Amino acid sequence: MEYEAEIRTPLERLGAVFSPPRDAGDLVESILESGTDALLLCPSPVGEVFVGLGRGGVRLVRRADVPAEEFAACYRRRFGRLLRWADDARLGRMVSAALAGEGTAPVDISYVTPFQRRVLEVVSGIPRGEVRPYSWVAREAGSPRATRAVGNVMASNPVPLIIPCHRVVRNDGSTGNYAFGSPIKRRLLASEGVPVEQIAGSLYVATPTTGVFCHLTCRHARRIKPENRRTFRSAQEAVAAGYRPCRVCRPAV
Amino acid sequence: MGVGKNGTADPLAARLAAGDPSAPEELVHRHYVELYRYAAFLLGPGEAEDAVQECFARAFVALGRYSEGRIRALALRPWLYRILLNVSRNHRRDGRREIAVAEMPERGDGWCGPAREEVMDVLDALASLPERQRTAVTLRYLQGLSYAELSETTGWPVNTCKTLVRRGKTRLATRLSSEV
Repeated sequence: MEYEAEIRTPLERLGAVFSPPRDAGDLVESILESGTDALLLCPSPVGEVFVGLGRGGVRLVRRADVPAEEFAACYRRRFGRLLRWADDARLGRMVSAALAGEGTAPVDISYVTPFQRRVLEVVSGIPRGEVRPYSWVAREAGSPRATRAVGNVMASNPVPLIIPCHRVVRNDGSTGNYAFGSPIKRRLLASEGVPVEQIAGSLYVATPTTGVFCHLTCRHARRIKPENRRTFRSAQEAVAAGYRPCRVCRPAV
Repeated sequence: MGVGKNGTADPLAARLAAGDPSAPEELVHRHYVELYRYAAFLLGPGEAEDAVQECFARAFVALGRYSEGRIRALALRPWLYRILLNVSRNHRRDGRREIAVAEMPERGDGWCGPAREEVMDVLDALASLPERQRTAVTLRYLQGLSYAELSETTGWPVNTCKTLVRRGKTRLATRLSSEV
């Protein structure tokens, strides 16, 4: 073709003039960090899990029993962001600790409804080794009649383990269902020091020495001497027997 | 059009569509050098980094929202060039820069590329081309896009691209030889 060489050579040489600096690794990294969300594969008490993190924190946790592609595709449909493998050991350690209940990691639940957010925030505050019934969560979240709705929020908890929905049990003290299966829920609670057998059927305990009743796993209830323990199946029964609710664990009457 | 006019689907587009978590990094690594080079040519080296950053940011927003089928069908390279052209047009419209073709970047003493005068001549000659011819010639020869990719980037029919490149080349050659 005419002019081919005449044009091609100067233009190709021009290309070299505008090449990026050699240390452009930072540019690649910042492009990926701002454009995509991070994906981690972490150990957890329920086996390996995928963790998707946005800038605000953990957004999605699922058991790694599917290929990473499937998790990422699900994440993209839900949040409209691509996932990239995160090569960050410090982040991995922090999230693994939070999954094990031994630390905290920021969570991003900004996309849920206001009710779901209130419920998830209440559940985040249940300490390790303690459990609360659905009705208590509903009352604490400001919607005392929404017990069933609390159950739905638990079932669709986007960040299980980090938001400890396994610490929410049925109003009769039985452990109830769990996204990862109820046997795993019982095992998890037992490993956190919850007397799973004891709470079934008697979620509340009172002592005549103070006239106060608590959730059985409340840290104050643990100090009651065996001979003073009075267990109740419901908060109403305890009130009817003349006890007042504990101010720390605030049983819902 | 992943099964583009050159008839080959881009496997990376399929991996992006399927959710492969190594695909985003591969996309950036595969294209950022050429995009940076073109952005530096269009806007000047000072703004190239911002432009490439914004180009990929827009690409990832789109990839987060497109359907899987649409991602799989993307011809990634021309698609990214198309975004970059839009980004650079906006940069210019924002009044950040009046001239269309960038001045030569400053290079250190170790520079052994073409001499400054030679480069300035080529840049001047390019600047004298009508915009469509300049876009066509530079995408074809500076960036090495095929006519199919060029057509997909610009949205102009392949034959229009060929004509623009041919006219641009003639003009460029005349101009360059007259300056010797």
